[in-house]
Amino acid sequence: MSEERKKILDMLSEKKITAEEAEKLLSAIAKEEGNGAGTVKKEPKYLRVMVEPGPDSKNPDRVNIRVPLKLIRAGLKLAALIPKSAQSQVNDALHEKGIEMDFSQIKPEDLENIVTQLDDLTVDVEGKESVRIFCE
Amino acid sequence: MMPMLLRLKGINREGKRFTLWLPLFLIYMILLPLIIITLPFVLLAALIAWPFGYGSLVLQAYLAIFKILGCLSGFKIDIESGDGNFFIKFV
Repeated sequence: MSEERKKILDMLSEKKITAEEAEKLLSAIAKEEGNGAGTVKKEPKYLRVMVEPGPDSKNPDRVNIRVPLKLIRAGLKLAALIPKSAQSQVNDALHEKGIEMDFSQIKPEDLENIVTQLDDLTVDVEGKESVRIFCE
Repeated sequence: MMPMLLRLKGINREGKRFTLWLPLFLIYMILLPLIIITLPFVLLAALIAWPFGYGSLVLQAYLAIFKILGCLSGFKIDIESGDGNFFIKFV
């Protein structure tokens, strides 16, 4: 029981306030607690990629991309449909590019976990260009 | 929800600009008969591929195309460069 609630009940037992007043005060506290609980972190809907010229950059190019996370999920599920026989070819192609990754080890549930964890992703790169990747 | 409009905006180096609101729902109406026409061929391809273990993959890939289309709403690309600006948004 919170301190405020206890005080109100004490005041009621001491007959300093009426039952109706106590009820009003208790409902006001409940409303306030409800508002506090309502400040839950919003689930992000988009992945944003922003590229802006840095202070020393001569290149004025700016890029602003907003990708719905639903689209990423759908795309990853499509990638999961790659037949097992083709996965070794994908692995070889990734290996040639210097990416050491076993594509056959990625399962649909892993992909779902990756997208879920994207919520907390924030990448800030400051160089000639400023690159920001985040979810909103 | 599937995107209903596609907004295209561009400005070239000379400052000439264009804005285009493309009603995607009209394109869907054109695509619908195409989807219906291709469906038997997809089912046939799935049946042929079924003994090799790829039948369900064919069907899932066909459905995934529509899923991706349905998830495009809100997708936005905005590029500003010295050669001009380009903006595309699915609404």
